[in-house]
Amino acid sequence: MDYSAAMGRSGVFLLRALLGLSFSLKGMQLLVTQLYKIGVLSLIIIIVSGLFIGMVLGLQGYNILVDYGSEQAVGQMVALTLVRELGPVVTALLFAGRAGSALTAEIGLMKATEQLTSMEMMGVDPMKRVIAPRFWAGFISMPLLAIIFSAVGIFGGMLVSVDWLGVFEGAFWSNMQNAVEFEGDILNGLIKAVVFGAVCTWIAVFQGYDLIPTSEGISIATTKTVVYSSLSVLGLDFLLTAVMFGSI
Amino acid sequence: MQAYIEVKKLSFYRGHRSIFKDLSMTIPRGKVTAIMGPSGIGKTTLLKLIGSQLKPESGQVLIDGVDFTRLKRKELFKARAKMGMLFQSGALFSDLSVFENIAFPLRAHTKLPEDMIRDIVLMKLQAVGLRGARDLMPSELSGGMTRRVALARTIALDPELIMYDEPFAGQDPIAMGVLVQLIRLLNDALGLTSVLVSHDIAEALSIADHAIIIADGRVIGEGSPAELKSHTSPLVKQFVNGLPDGPVPFHYPAGEYEMDLVGMDESAS
Amino acid sequence: MYQRSVELAVGVFMLLGMGALVFLALQVSGLSMDSQKDSYKVYAQFDDLGGLSVRGRVSLAGVTIGKISAISLDRESYSALVEMDIYKEVDNLTTDSVASIQTAGLLGDKYVAISVGADEEFLADGDTIFDTQSALNLEKLIGAFASGQVDI
Repeated sequence: MDYSAAMGRSGVFLLRALLGLSFSLKGMQLLVTQLYKIGVLSLIIIIVSGLFIGMVLGLQGYNILVDYGSEQAVGQMVALTLVRELGPVVTALLFAGRAGSALTAEIGLMKATEQLTSMEMMGVDPMKRVIAPRFWAGFISMPLLAIIFSAVGIFGGMLVSVDWLGVFEGAFWSNMQNAVEFEGDILNGLIKAVVFGAVCTWIAVFQGYDLIPTSEGISIATTKTVVYSSLSVLGLDFLLTAVMFGSI
Repeated sequence: MQAYIEVKKLSFYRGHRSIFKDLSMTIPRGKVTAIMGPSGIGKTTLLKLIGSQLKPESGQVLIDGVDFTRLKRKELFKARAKMGMLFQSGALFSDLSVFENIAFPLRAHTKLPEDMIRDIVLMKLQAVGLRGARDLMPSELSGGMTRRVALARTIALDPELIMYDEPFAGQDPIAMGVLVQLIRLLNDALGLTSVLVSHDIAEALSIADHAIIIADGRVIGEGSPAELKSHTSPLVKQFVNGLPDGPVPFHYPAGEYEMDLVGMDESAS
Repeated sequence: MYQRSVELAVGVFMLLGMGALVFLALQVSGLSMDSQKDSYKVYAQFDDLGGLSVRGRVSLAGVTIGKISAISLDRESYSALVEMDIYKEVDNLTTDSVASIQTAGLLGDKYVAISVGADEEFLADGDTIFDTQSALNLEKLIGAFASGQVDI
């Protein structure tokens, strides 16, 4: 009962957040500020994680493939793994932990200290002023972060396999280019990232807006954000993979 | 006495618990009205109902003749520009400076040029005596200062009505004195209607022109502070004089004390 | 001033994202303007695909001249019908060309290799290659070898 009521509330909430974006100068400024907080400040963790995951993939891939004499295929392995799966999924998990929890806590604290209520009393809709810019910023940032993650990861894989382990660079790239399809792999990966971004931000912002305004409520909601986001991302990833790649 | 706010037969439930049942009251224009009552009887809820943040189950809230319970969301946001509410915690926006906090309602509701906004903000800050604190962030303010900044923000748009939610709670005597004086001064200087909700009887009665005491979801006493002090109802007497026991019992409902001690309470077995 | 540097940082972030997408498109997936070349369709029927899949390569003398766009079962002949997109500029495949399924390396991807014949006429859009060789089935081959029926 409670659960389906919360689902209903979150649905209405999503609609109002989506429609709440204002394209005025002021609205855009708010959006840019949130893009900075959500997107730019997540860049470091995304770039560092992407680099290391790409390097590990390169190393592991090389060690497996070298036994079959096909270490040239390490490029396509790294690229496909990143673009199809790890890019969107790991970025979404990091995003939920880094930006999602911060969003929940921030909005929750604004609610607990009556900032949202006082905004309403001043005749300013918090959906427009607070929620919508944050929602859209998350929605825009997440795919960009996932793409950057994949690109940096592929660079990391190249660093290890080409510069360190001595895979021939031409073969590394040409095998990759033969195997990776723009529509089939990169666009599908991008669609995943867009879906994950929307879901993670939705969960984070809603948990913040709907929480019980006490310190305990904030801590519970922050935990919920990370847990629900991670589970939804992994579950949705399976569904999307089945739809996108399952029939091939 | 001309009414500014009229609450008519207001009923409100939280879950199945009735908070207010057929509550009716009148708040006079241009006066300071104190709404008092024991804690936990929904004084803050009443303010939220007046400000239409909560919708009542039935009844009307007329402010200056307009029924706020019937307004659409957009109209409501517009109508709220002429009312201000001071929250218990101050509710300053923690990511904006003192200056920006006060400029916020101005920027939201008016298209004034930047230099005029600056002048208005400084005037309001001067009125609460905090012009020197304009560049501080809310986290750097003391409790009393926070409330004064919040008050400056509340009067930024020159509202007709200000609602104070427990303005004196948790303040030291000096800050409390400053606030008492400010509320009175602002009310008289700006010609507005003030409603304050409090359980600090002494302070509330000292500035109120009119006081309403609520208990059990209804009005039990109403009148000027002097009238209330000589009220005959035992409930009003207990509250105004701050007696620990009376119609509002000291004990939360429980079984017989001695029986409980020897472990023979029927409800425990 | 603060808002200004925030705007700058967000702008750099956006550019970085776009740049990464361009990098993925061009360098990783090898997308280029001429990869969307005009092509025409040619069909071929095989008895056994042996693991040939859609998007596989079609090559002539080792050069890629197209890709496999669809695979289906022909209900009448009980054989596999392969639809291939051949690049427009390779418009001189003879009608007696031979299509055979080959393997890149011992365990690599399956692809269709085309070898041209001597006919004067060329295959056009929608034509079918009749002379085909199915995939070399490694298990059948080993089975035949074990039972002494080797004839290759």
